[in-house]
Amino acid sequence: MNNSDTQVQQVTPAPSRFSLPAVSIVLITCVCGWFMMQLEILGVRILVPYFGSAVYVVTGSVIGVFLLSLSIGYMLGGWLCSKMNTWILLGTVMILVGIWKCAIPLIKGPICDPISDSGIDEKWGALIASLILFGTPTILLGTVSPATVHWLTARTGNSGFSAGLVLATSTMASFTGCIVTAFYLVLFSLRRTLFTSGIILAILGAVVLVLITVSMRKQQYSPCDSIGGQQ
Amino acid sequence: MNCRINKPALLSLTCLLGVFLHASVFAFDPDFGQVVHKKNSLYNSISVYQSGSLMTLQFGRQQDFAVESQVDMDDLRSHILEYTKMTFSGLLYNSEPNSMLVLGLGGGVIPREMRHYFPSMKIDVAEIDQAILPIAKDYFGFRPDDNMKVHVRDGRVFVKKQLRLDPVPKYDLIILDAFNGDYIPFHLMTKEFMEEVKGILSDDGVIVANVFYTNRLFDAEFKTFLEVFGRGQVFYGEDSGNAMIVSPGPGCPILTSEEAVLKATEVQDKLGLSFDFTRIARLLEPKAQPDPQAQILTDDRAPVNQLREQEI
Repeated sequence: MNNSDTQVQQVTPAPSRFSLPAVSIVLITCVCGWFMMQLEILGVRILVPYFGSAVYVVTGSVIGVFLLSLSIGYMLGGWLCSKMNTWILLGTVMILVGIWKCAIPLIKGPICDPISDSGIDEKWGALIASLILFGTPTILLGTVSPATVHWLTARTGNSGFSAGLVLATSTMASFTGCIVTAFYLVLFSLRRTLFTSGIILAILGAVVLVLITVSMRKQQYSPCDSIGGQQ
Repeated sequence: MNCRINKPALLSLTCLLGVFLHASVFAFDPDFGQVVHKKNSLYNSISVYQSGSLMTLQFGRQQDFAVESQVDMDDLRSHILEYTKMTFSGLLYNSEPNSMLVLGLGGGVIPREMRHYFPSMKIDVAEIDQAILPIAKDYFGFRPDDNMKVHVRDGRVFVKKQLRLDPVPKYDLIILDAFNGDYIPFHLMTKEFMEEVKGILSDDGVIVANVFYTNRLFDAEFKTFLEVFGRGQVFYGEDSGNAMIVSPGPGCPILTSEEAVLKATEVQDKLGLSFDFTRIARLLEPKAQPDPQAQILTDDRAPVNQLREQEI
């Protein structure tokens, strides 16, 4: 990849701000923002039968774990984006989170039951269960924003614009994911919602990976350069 | 569209409607009296009203008219709200309970009255909101004792904890009355929860659930009960939208209307109940069945809010 840095700059001298890859990468952050909030809202519903609907389960454990994991994910994303191709990172994250979402209905019982049975205070039990169930996918989703900001900044040369665009659109998508899940998706089967969204996310991730691989094979690096930071 | 509403007219119409509706839990009584206590707890916005000797406990805004408890402090034996009398229907199936569990304290009317008639019964109450107990004690004449304890804990978590004890304590009477304002939290209605409750119900025990029969959620709840307990009977409130879904354990009989009234007379004579128990027994509809289209509520799928909005 890095051997072709100079070649890339020659092939794509001045990409426009609203090129197809730029729009796609912003859409990907939106998809990830959506699915993150969807998981957070469903997270409450997943934990309540095991740990009750006390305030510390709902607000403390679930929201707290999401914030902690996001902060780790942001750091990790910022570090990873200069080490690997942004699109490969995004594709991999989407596949892994998709698989994790599909697995949640299967692992929630085996994880929550022993914690709940151990007699540990339900505050801490809910926190531990929430960390195990939602920590990993949220850390992974947290890497998306910094990686996208990195890629866009490289393309546009404007870090403020890139960060603003990514944060605004992904947060707007998170808001929508939040509302749609809380108002409508909770009416359906938890298991089915998680399976469906996990499969959608994994398929989208696979599409991203396939496209990037194909375009790398063709030596057309324009939609996928990871060398933005060096421009 | 510009719509002008005559406020005094609207208000008097609402008052009039309130008189006719006369629903106990949605009791419209403009004269709850003075607010004597107000507290925003973690879970509820709690108001206590006093009008003479009549105390009213309400969650949420006054305009919502959702009354949790009402007590006449000069006559503690009088049940102001129909539903607290209806919870006694469990006694038609087992008239000598040794232990009782109540989920949801409110003003504490149900455990207090049960204690009055069964001085040695072991009573556990699970209440999620720690702000409720002091209010029940200070304003509604609720007195916990060595054998009547209030556990500040989510009802489901309390039941799970009981299941882990060795030996598992079995209750002869379990009353599900956990409401958040005017709705039951979803995790206290599902099949999985009922199965946990079944685990702490004695063989000749009875479970009594206070629900509303005015919306589609009732059918889903009833069906969930039948799924878990195999059988269940319903007492429909006359003066309120409350219904009791009663599921007796394997050692308890299913009653016909006549048997229920006979049993009620017997229990009334034995305990000297302060209200006409045969009237409660007459609320039984022995042949009640849930809508066959209704879906069982599970932890996986419990669209309670949607069902609640669909009136029958």
